[in-house]
This record gives sequence, C-alpha cells and structure tokens, in this order.
Amino acid sequence: MIKAAVIDNGIVGLRESYLDQPHVQYDFLPTHQATAPDFSPYDLLVVPNGTDQVAMYHWREAVQRFLNQGKTLFCFDGWFTHWLPGSQWVADNSKKTIDIRYTLKADRYGLFEGVDLNHFIFSNGISGWWACGYIQPAPRAEVVVADTWGRCIMLLDEQTTPGTIFATASGPLGDYAYGTTDDAGSMEGLTRLYHNLLTKLIKTPVS
Amino acid sequence: MIGLLFNGVWSQYAFAKAGKYQHLYRLLYIHDLTEASLQGLKAIAVPFQSNQAAIRERKGLIYNFLKQGGKVFVAGDSTADWLDAQWEDRPVNNYWWVKDPTNPPVSQTDYSHPVYEGLSVRHACWHTHGVYTRIPEHARIVQTNGRGEVISWETNHYGGTLFVTTLDPIVEHGIQQITHLDHYVDKLTEWLCGVKPEGQFEMQAADYGVAWEND
Repeated sequence: MIKAAVIDNGIVGLRESYLDQPHVQYDFLPTHQATAPDFSPYDLLVVPNGTDQVAMYHWREAVQRFLNQGKTLFCFDGWFTHWLPGSQWVADNSKKTIDIRYTLKADRYGLFEGVDLNHFIFSNGISGWWACGYIQPAPRAEVVVADTWGRCIMLLDEQTTPGTIFATASGPLGDYAYGTTDDAGSMEGLTRLYHNLLTKLIKTPVS
Repeated sequence: MIGLLFNGVWSQYAFAKAGKYQHLYRLLYIHDLTEASLQGLKAIAVPFQSNQAAIRERKGLIYNFLKQGGKVFVAGDSTADWLDAQWEDRPVNNYWWVKDPTNPPVSQTDYSHPVYEGLSVRHACWHTHGVYTRIPEHARIVQTNGRGEVISWETNHYGGTLFVTTLDPIVEHGIQQITHLDHYVDKLTEWLCGVKPEGQFEMQAADYGVAWEND
C-alpha cells in the first residue's frame, strides 16, 4: 500500500482526481497552514495541477527533507516559485498550440506501457491541450517527453536528490482531470500513465 | 488598481505578471488578505480556481468592500457559504468550436452590459464552468445557456456592483491557450478599473523560478 499526500488548495475537482484504491491511499493536506505539514509518514507527495505554489515555496525545506529520505515527488503543475530541487518550470506563450507535438525520449521503467502518447497531444482533435510552457531540467535529470521544439515536458530525476522526482510541464495526471478533457482516449491515457507511475516508480511502499 | 485574489495558482500569477496587465492588477494572496490589503483598490477580482473555504472565512472583507461602493468580479465556481447563490458543476465543453461551432455554451447575452458591449458572440463565451441554479432575487441575468441556466449575473444590492460568471477569463488568459481572450479581459479590466489595457500579453522567463516576495 502506497501512502500518498496530496497538496490541497481547495480548487474544484481536486479531490475527485485522486481516489483511494487497494494499492494507494491519499491524505489531502490543506495549504492554509502556516507551518509545513509533516510529510514523513508518506511514500509519495503529489503536487497536483492548480496547486498553491506560494505554499510550496514556503514548504520547500520540508520537500527537500522528504526527498532526502529517498521518497517520491510527483509534480503535475507549473511551479513558478523556486522550490522543486534542480529543475524549473517556465511559462511560455511563444509557440502555437496547433504546432505542439510530443516525442518519447526515454522510458527505462516502461511508464508508457499501454499508453498512447497521441492522447496527450490531441483531445477532441485539438492539439496542445495537455501541458503548458516547458521545464528547464536539472543537469542529470532524464527528459522523458519533449515537445516539437525539443523542450522538456516530462522529466524523471533520480540524481539531484536521494529521492525520485517526476514532473510534468503543468500536464495533469491522476484518476480524473477536472474540466481539462472529456475525450475518452485522453482520459484513459492520463489515468493509465498515472497508475504506471504509481506501480513502477515508488520504491518504498509501506505495507 | 484591481486586487486579484490569489490562490497560488500559476495561471493567476501568469496573468498578473503579463506586461499588459501587471500595472492594473495586484496579487492578493488569499491567506494573507486583510482590510489593509484592499485599501485604495477600485475592484476585487475572484478568479476561477480560488480557495472557496478561505474566501468564506474572509467574506466580511469582500462585502465591506462592496458596501463602500467597490466592484467585485467572481469567475468560475463559488459556494453558497459566501455568495447568496447556488453554483452547480456541469461538464466543460471546450471543443464546441470544432465539433458544433453554431452551438456555443452561452446562447443569450445582454450586450448592453459594459463588459459585453461591442463583443462578438465568439468573444463573449469560450467555455463555462458550471451554472447558477439559484441567484439572488435582486440580481439581473446577463448570460444564459441553451437550457436557460444562468451563466452570468449582476447585482447592486450590496452597495457597489457584484458581477458573477461561470466563465473563467483570468485563469484561461493566464494559460494562454485561447488566443482571443484579450477582447473579453480588456473589456472586463476597463469596466473594473477605468483603464483600458494596452500592448501584448508578454510572458517573461525571469518571472519564473522566483522566491515568493512576501516570504
């Protein structure tokens, strides 16, 4: 059983996106508290799409301690504040969404088993729906998916800290993606990829 | 100057940092909001993806601002804990313009409202996040969908003007995936503060990877 913490800033649709299942159980940690939550009981910290990035900046040292314990961080949001170790997300509107395509660059863990990358490119026939901006990866991080211009859209970083970081350029992953897509293929793709992350990346599940 | 209630969401931040809007909007982090935060503002904007529970705890500040004659704009979802209305979720159709372009999610708009005056049908609606199934008796309906459900409404009952919509102009403009939103947002901004934004929506890489200034 994976014990996971989800950062919760009260936005609509968040709690429906992470549902308890036999292999994973979630606690939702509200962002109104001044002091950082205790992440130590958890195997996984999920920073979902639409997160309070001000709170994450305030809690950056707690995140670093969590990763120093060899645990796993998923960030599916645009982190405009500087808290995620090594890598940085940047917003950008210089490219047209109609031109956005993604390429799988590396997948040592088989994260894309059963996942069609085209479902992340097109939703209801429209491209560029999933991610925003790009990631400046840490020097030793692995670019998993790149966009049309070779910019990092998904990264896996097992080098910068003793833990594991998987991040997207604000592309939502989970059991649901409120308001983002209702395309059956896109929904299946992002859910399957998310559960592949859970089963293939978490190294220290607590039984 | 317009106060933008801020839930730490990147699209809210990106909007407030954009070159054409940064001198007109001030981010007000919701957990730090006080009476002093609102001093000197002409309007408050409550964007989609706000923290409804945190707003409920501070609703007195908002209604006091209205009482003093200010304008308050509420976008996206809300709760009846702080707004005398009932919002309900509905599936988001953000592809109608490809699949069924003659059938947008809003079917009726009062184009005499200052925000909508001069806007085309396409610019007055892109997609909606739910509907209002109940609005105050003193409210005026501004937009409805094809089922007659309320999308946008307004009231002067509280002193100033409260304008509420399930459109999401600020968050969506911050995301920058819809290219025509300058039309709506510029009209909204001018209505809220009296100044028409000029220039382009520019994103600067230097605004990303920042320390939070109030830290």
